Amino acid sequence: MNRPGVRSPHTTYLSTAQRPQRLERSLRTSDVDDAELAQAAARGDAAAFGGLIERHGMAARRAARAILRDDDDADDAVQEGMLAAWRAIDRYDPARPFRPWLMRIVVNAALDARRRGRVRHAEPIAETLESPGLGPDRRAEASLLRAKLDAALAALPERQRIALVLFDAEGWGHAEIAASLGVPEGTVRSYVFHARRAMRRALGTLAEGMK
Amino acid sequence: MTMSPFDHQRDEELGRLLREQLTGPRPEAFLERIRLAVARSEPRGEWDVLADWARPRRIALAVAAGLLLWLSAWFSANRTSVEPGVTVASLPAHSMVNPQPPAADEIMSALTGGR
Repeated sequence: MNRPGVRSPHTTYLSTAQRPQRLERSLRTSDVDDAELAQAAARGDAAAFGGLIERHGMAARRAARAILRDDDDADDAVQEGMLAAWRAIDRYDPARPFRPWLMRIVVNAALDARRRGRVRHAEPIAETLESPGLGPDRRAEASLLRAKLDAALAALPERQRIALVLFDAEGWGHAEIAASLGVPEGTVRSYVFHARRAMRRALGTLAEGMK
Repeated sequence: MTMSPFDHQRDEELGRLLREQLTGPRPEAFLERIRLAVARSEPRGEWDVLADWARPRRIALAVAAGLLLWLSAWFSANRTSVEPGVTVASLPAHSMVNPQPPAADEIMSALTGGR
């Protein structure tokens, strides 16, 4: 998106092959905060939005995979959510934290995808717990852990799953998760509590053995 | 895993397992895909902004127009319910401003329509 009359150092970010990586690195290492990047994006700076994708894209993907449990569906939902956020970026209030705003859009995109029944089929999430250098016994244990983790996640209610992932995997605070899900903070605490209890019950001492 | 679910601290071990399980393959390629999708998306022009702005107003306008139509139909339906056969005879203007009571021939003339 190049809005007329808008010029920034990053505007040509996607016009050459080499430039993106250089700029991404500068955005990643710079002290520019999310709100500033979002404001630049609202002025039409696609590279600034690229910086936001770089920062939050993987968290969004994990949340979407926790909801949809299918690689392709989750990636499609994140893309849809990110595009929606890009189109609505001028409506983002810089006085509020950016992460929950973005995550809410992505989570809604994933939930919509599921409601519309566009989900291909619920397959176990692809094996990503790589265990290179492990012997056959340890590999079998890792595989078992993956299967148990997948089953335990699948058994959790959707919102508990999202809250657990954002809290323990992403390190978000309860308030941010509450803003993302549109529920009170106390509800998020309850979600995390119940999700952890269920996960602990399902995984038992298996996870301890993997350390 | 943290053994107490009441713990308000992040559970590092569970977090690591979840990240590994949910990160998915080729994260760099995934991020590049999203960036390209954003770059290829149609620019949001002035007409899109106007359309967003106009949509709720169009609905409000349609509702208001419908209400007005209904009200005007209701009023016109009520207005036509005057009893038939009752007519009002018009008196000569001077009889309304004249403090003196009208003469009998003036009343007769008004009632017969000046015939």
